[in-house]
Amino acid sequence: MKRVLVTLLTVVAGVAVVAGIAIYSSVAQAEPPALKAEVAGTLDTPQGTLPHATLQLAVYPNSSDKVPPPATPKSPLGQDWLSGQPFYHPTTTIQVPANSAVTLTFIQYDTGGQIYNPFFAKVHGTMDGTMTWNGNSVTEVKTDNIGHTFTVHQYPEATQPDFFLSVPLPMNKANAKTDKAGYPVDPQKIEVTFVTGDPGTYVWNCEFPCGDMYQEFGGPMQQRGWMAGTFEVVG
Amino acid sequence: MTATDVRPDPDGPETPTNRPPSMHRVKNWIRRPYARGIMVLTVVIGFLLLPLCWLILAAMNQTGAPASPIMRDIEQTVFVFTLVSIPISAFVFAVLVYSLLGWKHVKGDQVPKDESPAIRSNTIGVVLWTVVSSALAFFLVVWGLIELAQITANSYGTIPADEQPADSQALIVNVTGQQWVWTFEYPQYDKITSETLYLEKDRPVYFNVTSKDVIHNFWAVELGVKIDANPGAITQTGVTPDKAGTFNVRCAELCGLHHAYMETQIQVLDKGSFNSWTREMGGGKTS
Amino acid sequence: MSATATAFGAQVPQPVQHGKPGGIMRRLNFGTGLIGGLGLAAIAAVVTNAFIPSGAASSVNYAPIAPQLVYLAALLGWVIGFMAGMGAFIGPIRWLMGRDLTHADAEYLAGKDLGKARYWKFTTDHKVVGIQYLIMVMIILGFGGLLAMLIRTELGVTWAEVFTPSFYNSIIGTHGIAMIIGMIIVVMGPIANFIMPIMIGARDMAFPRLNALSLWLLVAAVPCLISSLFLGGIQDGWSVYQPLAAQGPPGMLGYQMTIIVFAISTGVASVNVMTTILTMRAKGMTWSRTPILVFGVFAAALMGLYAFPFYQYSQILALSDRIFSTSFFKPLEGGSVWLYENLFWLLGHPEVYVILIPSTALMLELLPVFYRKPLFSFNFAVAGIVGVVALSGLVWAHHMYMTGWAPAVNYPFMLSTEMISIPVGFLVLVVLGTMWRGVVWTRLPIMAVYAVIFNKMIGGVTGIYLSDVPADQYFHGSMFVVAHFHFMLMGVGLFGAMGGIAFYFPKMTGRMLNERSGSIGLWTAFVGFQITFISMFVAGLQGQPRRVLQFDDLFNISNWISTIGAYTIGVGMLIFLGAIISSWKYGDIAPSNPWGSKSLEWQTPTPVPLDNFAVLPVVTERPYNYGVPDPYEKEMREHDGDLTTKVGAK
Repeated sequence: MKRVLVTLLTVVAGVAVVAGIAIYSSVAQAEPPALKAEVAGTLDTPQGTLPHATLQLAVYPNSSDKVPPPATPKSPLGQDWLSGQPFYHPTTTIQVPANSAVTLTFIQYDTGGQIYNPFFAKVHGTMDGTMTWNGNSVTEVKTDNIGHTFTVHQYPEATQPDFFLSVPLPMNKANAKTDKAGYPVDPQKIEVTFVTGDPGTYVWNCEFPCGDMYQEFGGPMQQRGWMAGTFEVVG
Repeated sequence: MTATDVRPDPDGPETPTNRPPSMHRVKNWIRRPYARGIMVLTVVIGFLLLPLCWLILAAMNQTGAPASPIMRDIEQTVFVFTLVSIPISAFVFAVLVYSLLGWKHVKGDQVPKDESPAIRSNTIGVVLWTVVSSALAFFLVVWGLIELAQITANSYGTIPADEQPADSQALIVNVTGQQWVWTFEYPQYDKITSETLYLEKDRPVYFNVTSKDVIHNFWAVELGVKIDANPGAITQTGVTPDKAGTFNVRCAELCGLHHAYMETQIQVLDKGSFNSWTREMGGGKTS
Repeated sequence: MSATATAFGAQVPQPVQHGKPGGIMRRLNFGTGLIGGLGLAAIAAVVTNAFIPSGAASSVNYAPIAPQLVYLAALLGWVIGFMAGMGAFIGPIRWLMGRDLTHADAEYLAGKDLGKARYWKFTTDHKVVGIQYLIMVMIILGFGGLLAMLIRTELGVTWAEVFTPSFYNSIIGTHGIAMIIGMIIVVMGPIANFIMPIMIGARDMAFPRLNALSLWLLVAAVPCLISSLFLGGIQDGWSVYQPLAAQGPPGMLGYQMTIIVFAISTGVASVNVMTTILTMRAKGMTWSRTPILVFGVFAAALMGLYAFPFYQYSQILALSDRIFSTSFFKPLEGGSVWLYENLFWLLGHPEVYVILIPSTALMLELLPVFYRKPLFSFNFAVAGIVGVVALSGLVWAHHMYMTGWAPAVNYPFMLSTEMISIPVGFLVLVVLGTMWRGVVWTRLPIMAVYAVIFNKMIGGVTGIYLSDVPADQYFHGSMFVVAHFHFMLMGVGLFGAMGGIAFYFPKMTGRMLNERSGSIGLWTAFVGFQITFISMFVAGLQGQPRRVLQFDDLFNISNWISTIGAYTIGVGMLIFLGAIISSWKYGDIAPSNPWGSKSLEWQTPTPVPLDNFAVLPVVTERPYNYGVPDPYEKEMREHDGDLTTKVGAK
């Protein structure tokens, strides 16, 4: 009898430990809260007149008193290896409405340099293939003048519509005038408009080597909440 | 004259026979109940396993495969290998089953008394098994080597694409894997670039595959093409798609955060559609 | 008080006994090891932190160097401090000081009269080390199993991401390495340590202190692996391919340290096992009288000895790439990714045979006892093991067919890989031949053999697909590969080990493993195993890549089925674990030879005395002397005059 009890206890304890760790890990690493695009008015597009949604994101080179960093993984002794790295603000979980025209505005505060793959120096996936950069309409940025990119790409679900959007975010010059927090007083402003289809979930990440470690694609570039996130088209 | 010179006829003294002694051995062995039982079981299990040959292909073909001769070769190989593996597998499973259900078994806590025949070896069994398994392995090797040579010839794995024999039909695509997007460049068409792979039906295509950062793996699933995308090196492979449609490229080497999302599509178009696509992308053919 | 001993009529001076037997070892145990390890880790971390330059020099490749160096220092401090606190260095220090161990010291170290406390100390008795390995194995496999449940939960919840991709990538890698480490030692640890010396009629292993060292190095390595999860994880598969691993968070250093330490542990253990088997077999135990398990254990030790240094080296170079900015594996700075892949797979392949061969040899050892007949074609079994060892070092690049490294080389590697199926087939024939016409005693250990052979066939046949380069062009990097190696490593390796543990449980713990709960656990896990991994084959055939947490709807059904199967495995393994725990405490007291085995290890009383044998045995006959003369043989003799079946011939 004692044997059966001990065996049962082992099973119950094992299941409880596994379930507990699973739930804790899942909750502790929840994605940052979503930023929803605001719908206001309509826009004429080649696909017809669609509701118009807008959303604004900023890219900071590092955190400061003015701009807190995203939740960062820390070692048990409190050390972290991501502070001081660039990140998207306020969040990396983006939600836009389906079957709408969406305008994304980026305020880019970081410097940059040479991008590895010239493909991402061009604009892809916007309504007319252009983006508005500080008021001018362009289709690409010089490959050595890029700070970050915002690249939304495929989720492996064949049932949701194909969606690809890539926006190069130009850099600020290294000698640009900065404010007290160290950010340029006159950052780069980029605006893109694109049309969303049916609902689906996608992921996005930066394709410019702005991280650290090998090829500068480590660190924040491999961390949701910093330079990578999810892009949801909700119905 | 010793006892071994006289071989009594198992059929009885009335019917003389010219049959050699070894046939007597085989005939006597087959008479044993377990021999027949295991042979029957082997055949039954073998037939039960036979549908696997087709079921395996059905699982592979759910998204439009095969879409190239290479993929057809691969499927034929899988079919033949399954077929060839069935006899030995069926025999092994038959022995497992028979040892539980056919021969005697004993339960309980007491150490049973020895009842099994103390067979330390059986030359015929060992030789038969070695010969059959070696022959099968040899067959698989030869099949595989011939097929590998064929597929390599079809995809020019070791010869750079720009050194291929004069074949003005061939399409060249530079595949770049980067964390975590595939991009494709068409050097023959004014270097147009795309994140979706467009191919022309029945036209050979050679891929020059590389990576900008870590190791990726370019897997054109239904075309049966797979090659690592290594940083600092260009690897080559090739295929001739022979079916129009939409297929998948997946990354088959863990490459970081969004490895699971590093997928894109292949559009295999007929000649006219492919040319209008290249024109649309702004690529006049330059070579 | 000096003493001399008489050996062959000469007076041999003995070391002088200073103080109580054991000396400082009397005060050292796991507790002092923890204090030493944590203490030195803390000191190393603080000191390193103080010396890290600030400013521009404080980062390497834009990454702050402080967390990495501090973590590395803490890991080194932990390992060295823990081993020092356990007293691992006392022996060599005393030897250097000219104060070598006396006989009383050696007896103290072996745990004489120490009771349960000896399991918490640096004890050299191979039986104690075997039990310690058994506990470590259960902890490590439990940790790996926990991660497996998390992985399958993520893959089963196909409509959402339960964990972030970075955590998922970490847990698949950590699951992999934990299971690999666990499977390497699951038979080599408990069985090769506890049982093998008794089986060959020896009193202990050749190097008892190295034996304890190899165990405690393993204990030191495990926290390094677990700590990596708290520093960002390894975010890579268990093969930690460079250069992806060079982008990883500081947790990668934990992995590298684990491997560096574990490789020392296995190297030491391999040398120990091989020397013991070569030199300490009982009088009269010629090679043809040596049980097959000894051959299997020797083969695994040999393969581990030549293969593990490659792995250790690859991790040392990778660590150097991270910390010292070398570029062994960074192609854009002159290195080569293929160098890493070759170094890794030079270990990676023999390593699976290190897992498979002891498990298979253990099954071969069980068969004669439960069929009460001799092992079929002992020579063939040895030939199979030797063939696998010989070929194991010649097949590694079949993991690299698709890398584009050297396409011409794919041909010979395909040949050698297909050839290795032949010696493995020999081992299957020996199993079948021993089962042939045998009256089976259906106890738990032998039922595991059925599970093992079933899995071995499925794993072996799917391996044939993978060995063919064109077929591998579809299957490489897909879930098909994952299902194949789980069938081999878990289906054959783990289920075999479970049968072996059930078999040796009475000798190692003095109690019988409860058959009912053990069988329920084993068969529940077996059914769950088939469901999980056959469904995973289907997912691979459909085209699901491996190491992905989100995938096309096409793969949903196979993944749901696999997850349900995985939970079933989890429950089954927990039941088996519960059977072990409850039988250890409350099980029936075992007689000294419950299975009626004629092997040497079962001729000792239970619990086995410290010296194993009062008088060392002398072996005079072949092993596996079971069975009765074959009734068919008389008939065949009558019918054709020459024998094809030899029975009992010398």
